[in-house]
Amino acid sequence: MNFRFKITSVLLATVRIDLHRPHPFAHERVGFISAGLSAVGSDVLILARSYRPVADKDYLRDASVGAMMGPEAIRKALQWAMQDGHALFHVHTHGGRGVPQFSGIDMRENAKFVPDFCKVAPQCVHGSIVLSDDAARGQVWLDRKRPHTFIAQFTEVGAPLRTWSAA
Amino acid sequence: MSRFERQSFLGRDSEARLDAATVGIIGLGGGGSHMVQQFAHIGIGGQVDVDPDHITDNNTNRLIGGTLRDVRDATLKITIAERLIRGLQPHARIVAVPDKWQNATEHLKHCDLILGAVDGFIEREQIERFARRHLIPYIDIGMDVHDLGEHGHLVAGQVILSMPGFPCLRCCGFITDERLKLEAARYGAAGGRPQVVWPNGVLASTAVGLGVQLITSWFSNPPAFTYLEYDGNRGTVSASAHVAALKGRVCPHHPSEETGDPFFDIREHMRRFESTPGRLTFWRRLFRLPPKH
Repeated sequence: MNFRFKITSVLLATVRIDLHRPHPFAHERVGFISAGLSAVGSDVLILARSYRPVADKDYLRDASVGAMMGPEAIRKALQWAMQDGHALFHVHTHGGRGVPQFSGIDMRENAKFVPDFCKVAPQCVHGSIVLSDDAARGQVWLDRKRPHTFIAQFTEVGAPLRTWSAA
Repeated sequence: MSRFERQSFLGRDSEARLDAATVGIIGLGGGGSHMVQQFAHIGIGGQVDVDPDHITDNNTNRLIGGTLRDVRDATLKITIAERLIRGLQPHARIVAVPDKWQNATEHLKHCDLILGAVDGFIEREQIERFARRHLIPYIDIGMDVHDLGEHGHLVAGQVILSMPGFPCLRCCGFITDERLKLEAARYGAAGGRPQVVWPNGVLASTAVGLGVQLITSWFSNPPAFTYLEYDGNRGTVSASAHVAALKGRVCPHHPSEETGDPFFDIREHMRRFESTPGRLTFWRRLFRLPPKH
């Protein structure tokens, strides 16, 4: 089972611009991308819908990481996934060029909270995306029990179309 | 020497990009058959070609690749298309569907781009909705011949690039409730309109050009949305007034919240693909055990 993530250029540009805004005290910004899903044979298309940034007041002061979400940020995201039946993807950026890597801290923190989305919207997959300025990489959780897998391919839908492999 | 040497201006990696791309073509008549041929010439690696019909005598005035022998043999239009592609791209990834496009959606979901050369407005709207749901750019072409009475006839047509997030066929005023109602009153039949080969060629070539602009990078900032009008009497293709009027407008008809399949459930999906009869797990393959049912 492979996962392909598709997002319009317009939405991706909106996300990047938002994530580059300075925060009063956090070193970086984070947000959530909602998505719909569709089966293609045994594979799954993840089709981005919209973006919501984490509110300034929902960050915690933690100098050991670039940005730390507070419980209110996660509660709001869980509520969004549950009410609207979205697949939800946490997103942040590392900047730079090329397909980025998740850091050790990213992997550790994502594993703590992303599987909880499978509890409130179990019909969907959920995950995390890390962006660079021209590419992305993503993790996907199918349920709370299994380890995550990686998104195999990204497509930026716009003019021109851009596709890259990221597994 | 590559057969694509003369199109190297499309970009250093254009050959690979074109080969990796898959386009869906719905309707393989006068317009679609031109597109099939041109995409094969240019080196598109994958095509999903959809048409339920076979060639008939009155198709031969415009169906590219079709012969009188095909009429005699009642050859399917998809077979003619595949023959045409294989002559240029022997290793092309071709999915030929002799059915309505609604029964080819599993294949069309794979496409990077869908092009429609269909007659009806209802069908166009459905294809566009499907494409938007799956974040696939859609290029629509169509031509018509209007009777001008004592002034003869006007040959006209349009090519519209409908990109997710940008204006759609409804935003352009091309699809209206009135047109849909009128067609529905005729039970969805668009009628056997007059068709000739050269306007189809102009429109299909324009559509292929737009498609190649999206896939390669032979110039910067290609348009994400366009509505081009063809005047066959003057021999011109020009941007519709709608293009400027709709600049910056977000399409209200296809909200981004509608992407995906509303009935998709990953739990069902996993059950289906993890317990498919006949699928052998690693251990069953290793010990040559029969599939578990």
